[in-house]
Amino acid sequence: MIERELAYPAPPVAERHPSDLAEVLERVLDKGIVIAGDIKIDLLDIELLTIRLRLFVSSVDTARKAGIDWWETDPALSSRAARDALTQENAELRERLHALESRIGSEELSAVGATAQERSDR
Amino acid sequence: MTPSQVPTLSYVFAVCRGGGPTESAERPAERLAEGLAELPGLGTGTPVRTLPAGPLTAVVQDVPAAGFGEEALRRRLSDRAELERCARAHHAVITAASVLAPTVPLPLATLYLDDRRVQEALDERQTSFLTALDRIAGRAEWGVKVYAPTGPPPAPEAPSTDSSGSGRTYLDRVRTRRQSREQRHTQTLRAAERVDTAVRGLAVAARRLRPHGVEVTGKHRTHVLNAAYLLDLGRERELRAALASLRHDETDIQIELSGPWAPYSFADAGTTP
Repeated sequence: MIERELAYPAPPVAERHPSDLAEVLERVLDKGIVIAGDIKIDLLDIELLTIRLRLFVSSVDTARKAGIDWWETDPALSSRAARDALTQENAELRERLHALESRIGSEELSAVGATAQERSDR
Repeated sequence: MTPSQVPTLSYVFAVCRGGGPTESAERPAERLAEGLAELPGLGTGTPVRTLPAGPLTAVVQDVPAAGFGEEALRRRLSDRAELERCARAHHAVITAASVLAPTVPLPLATLYLDDRRVQEALDERQTSFLTALDRIAGRAEWGVKVYAPTGPPPAPEAPSTDSSGSGRTYLDRVRTRRQSREQRHTQTLRAAERVDTAVRGLAVAARRLRPHGVEVTGKHRTHVLNAAYLLDLGRERELRAALASLRHDETDIQIELSGPWAPYSFADAGTTP
């Protein structure tokens, strides 16, 4: 088991260096109070978004397989719109998982059924 | 050309409370200015400094306009290594400030044409900043992540022409595998829920972040909970004790703690637990 605490043994306030890049990025990119600057770059408009996506939700397929797809309902990909009710999220995930698995299951079943049918035909 | 002749922009890292005359005993703004003066910031050779804006103080640095204008900035942040360097530099300044005074972080690359424009922007949002500063004073953010180990890959499928199994045993195998996967997934989600509930109990606010993808977590595990909690400064020991006890009870999951962080996730309204 990874004991991240060991990396931060009761840190004195002056010595806080959580170094995990993903954790730093997810905080500095879209947290804090957003005020419109004079230099406008649309962070969502550039390659940065690609980097972000690659980093956090790597591939939509991979994440979906893991049952994680709630950001799809979040057009701005903004954590501000993050679901706050864990129970609700879990219920949704479970429902999706059931739907997916029963679909995969029935596909597998019908594939096997077809094979069995062929065999018994011989 | 001397540095003063190079056209510059004002890069804003964070916003703190200003040190008005009524607070002269503590002089928080001065203390802040002294504490930040030695920081490299974005490495532009100019000092990180404080800029008074009414009741607020901005933590700023002059950066060359040529390197941080729209086009240059776009290129800069599109480069993975440079993005990391900027993000870490930004984070370092915010962290240093938050040790010295309650600090509201601003997002990476918040840039103004000059100091006057920074002051105008802060004036406009003065109430939001003061409210945020009230909310986060005496508190710190902690990150809690829960992972589910990815099981061993399913046994290779026997080809359907293989006579080792009848259709029925194959179906049974499919069903069993599906059920155990489902069961494990449900157990993991419930465990994550218990972790979240326990930590929320200690926090004044909580927020969910995006789970990390496989490039971050590695293939051996799935990220099921990525949460941030705002805790009063005195509760770190309780937090660690709660996580130690959860780690003992929840053997199906990995629990990681990070922090204390500057209150990034709670600068604007977080949800109450």
